[in-house]
Amino acid sequence: MAATDTAQPKAPTLHELLDMEKMVLSSKTREAQSGSERWMRYLGFPGGIALFLLVYYLPAGAGLSSAAQAGAACFALALVWWVTEPFPTYVTSLVLMFLLLVTRTSNAKAIMDVLGMEVIWLNLLAFILSSMLVKTRLAKRMALWLVVRFGHKANWALLAFVILQLALAPLIPATAARCVMTLPLMIVVAAIYGSTQESPNNFGKNLMLLNLACISVLSSVTMTGSSANLIAVGLIQNMGGHRVYYMDWMRVGAPIAIITMLAMWIIGQKFLFKIKPEDQVPHLEGGLDLIREQYAKMGPFSFAEKKALAIFGVVLFLWMTDTFHMSWFGVEISAPFAALLGAVIVLFPRWGILQWSEADIPWHLLIFSAGAYAGGLALDDTGAAEWGVRMLFGGMNLKQVPFGIAFTVVIAVMMYSHLLTTSKTVRTLILLPIIITLAKTLGWDPLAFALPAALCIDWVVGLPISGKPNVILFSTNQFTVMDNFKYGMVACTLGVIFLVVSAATWFHWLGITPAFWAMPQ
Amino acid sequence: MNILRLFSCLMLASVLSRATEIESYQLRLTTATNGTGQGLATVKMSGCVPGQMNIPLGFTKIEALTLEAAPKGVRLEPGPSNGQLLLHFFLPEGIAPEATVQFSFTVPRAFQIIEPGPGEKSTLPAGSRLFRHAFVNTQETTIGSYRFELLFPEKTMAQAIREQLPKPKKSEVGPRVLLSKLEGRQAATLQFTALKQGDDTSMQLEVVPVRKSFGWLLGGLLLAAAYLYYFRDIVARKET
Repeated sequence: MAATDTAQPKAPTLHELLDMEKMVLSSKTREAQSGSERWMRYLGFPGGIALFLLVYYLPAGAGLSSAAQAGAACFALALVWWVTEPFPTYVTSLVLMFLLLVTRTSNAKAIMDVLGMEVIWLNLLAFILSSMLVKTRLAKRMALWLVVRFGHKANWALLAFVILQLALAPLIPATAARCVMTLPLMIVVAAIYGSTQESPNNFGKNLMLLNLACISVLSSVTMTGSSANLIAVGLIQNMGGHRVYYMDWMRVGAPIAIITMLAMWIIGQKFLFKIKPEDQVPHLEGGLDLIREQYAKMGPFSFAEKKALAIFGVVLFLWMTDTFHMSWFGVEISAPFAALLGAVIVLFPRWGILQWSEADIPWHLLIFSAGAYAGGLALDDTGAAEWGVRMLFGGMNLKQVPFGIAFTVVIAVMMYSHLLTTSKTVRTLILLPIIITLAKTLGWDPLAFALPAALCIDWVVGLPISGKPNVILFSTNQFTVMDNFKYGMVACTLGVIFLVVSAATWFHWLGITPAFWAMPQ
Repeated sequence: MNILRLFSCLMLASVLSRATEIESYQLRLTTATNGTGQGLATVKMSGCVPGQMNIPLGFTKIEALTLEAAPKGVRLEPGPSNGQLLLHFFLPEGIAPEATVQFSFTVPRAFQIIEPGPGEKSTLPAGSRLFRHAFVNTQETTIGSYRFELLFPEKTMAQAIREQLPKPKKSEVGPRVLLSKLEGRQAATLQFTALKQGDDTSMQLEVVPVRKSFGWLLGGLLLAAAYLYYFRDIVARKET
């Protein structure tokens, strides 16, 4: 009897691992694993309240409205609770939404309207498309192919995803779309390496977080990588007086993003979340041969798979060609509407692929996102975010320091500010004009600050609330908010270092930045 | 006929080119707890041409309009009110091309009074007051910059900026309405540059007393203490 109690759980078979229909995007709260995690969870609750009270009762700055101060207090509380997780993240979001109302930061309509935002719709529809890939076994086929081809060892499997995301980034500007396309592959590959939502391991953490970073950061490879990049280009032209061309952006943005992601590929598995030797190879008796066998057994593409491929092709085509829609159709079919069309076909009676009940939609995640967006929008609408940035730059005497120091400060502020906002566009619209004006005030060419700062726009990797792909990947339960924070901070810090080194060297040789130690005139 | 048209155009161009221009229009309204406001406006003009000049004032009802400072011979008279007041300035012959005029006035009811009708719910908590200022350039002359500063009554602060129009353009840095401190009080500044005829700008603010309920402090501390007690098992040593 005792032997039965202490027996190791039976290792799942390949068939069980690949049974993706059982892999629902869980709403379970992850159990705190280590002692420090438990203490963080325990103290996070009063810690969040303490921070709320501190910000709320601080003497009001003259430049801040009462609503802005209350909004900052609410967001600070939520941020602590999201990171320390005394409650599930979606409960924190609900608490935040309630606090925004009762502190009179936002009105009921503004808070409730968040659930109707484009980004929420895109997430919802993307999950329907993702369910289609799972049900038709197309995701399983693609994942098996990926593992057979590159999955001899964990590190090569991870690198394959870096290359995959790099290839997709210039083609599909919508990060959520890229994420949802590759999510089922990630889930299956993680499972093959023994990382499931019930018992995640460091391979799963590395896989999800590397993809999370790649999806966002590699958007900065091209200026069309996200709409916020294009807004930045417009601001640099209108306010800074410099036209930034596609290649201008790429020759500075691509190397930084690619080098950082390759560095994170190594740092993640070697230092941050060290993969155990036994997790370095597929967790299956029979290893890769069994996977090859399984892949061969799948045979030729089924009709359902072909249909799924065609539907996904249509959506993908619309995502990739959004700049031509106006001339082709007389209307722009934005990313959510392209996904909506796909969802309509997928759910169509008889001809479609899914029943509504088969779509795996993690509603808790949408609530989590809604709360985060409500908080972020409140900071923006009340002027708290802009006030914070002005205070930060105004409090530093950047007139007396060399270019390199001022540059480092600007880049660091731009890079880490994503922790306090939930929209790249809003962050760009608030920060870029201030940075351009700051450059002019200090007597530097606006391009020297603005272009490198614009390259940081897409680096929204610090928290699950920081970007759409982050929220989606968080649903896999393979990493905690703290894991995300740790990984994201290392990635961002590397980015800052690479940008500062570049400013001192080849940005200068390209004529974008002045000499690193030059003093303002 | 063509010669006549050309002549008319030339005459019009000559008249327009000689119109007095407003370089800047700065207005400060200091409000009191009783709801009244004391306004002081400074208008900088260039290319001054003798004759009448109209300047709109973004209020519907004012009292005690007084010319505080102006070149000799300048007269000021209140004009008609059609949504906002129009002021008539009479510039004398021989006025210098550059001139600055300053005038003051009293606004008897600076804050909006919104009383819910029978059966209607109040949209403002007790103690909150709304202030709205709207300005339209109804004249031909472009106003180089318009700046309106509202100094809140003592011991009050902005709860929220409810309206700030028009939205800042891409080339503009900063918000349309900026909160700051002036003369030891919280103030809101509305600014807009290059107002052509028909351009308008406005802001609406909710002003509340500077005091915060200690309910949040009490509730927060109680909740934190209760959590630490009832959830202590999270960090309790688990027997293996």
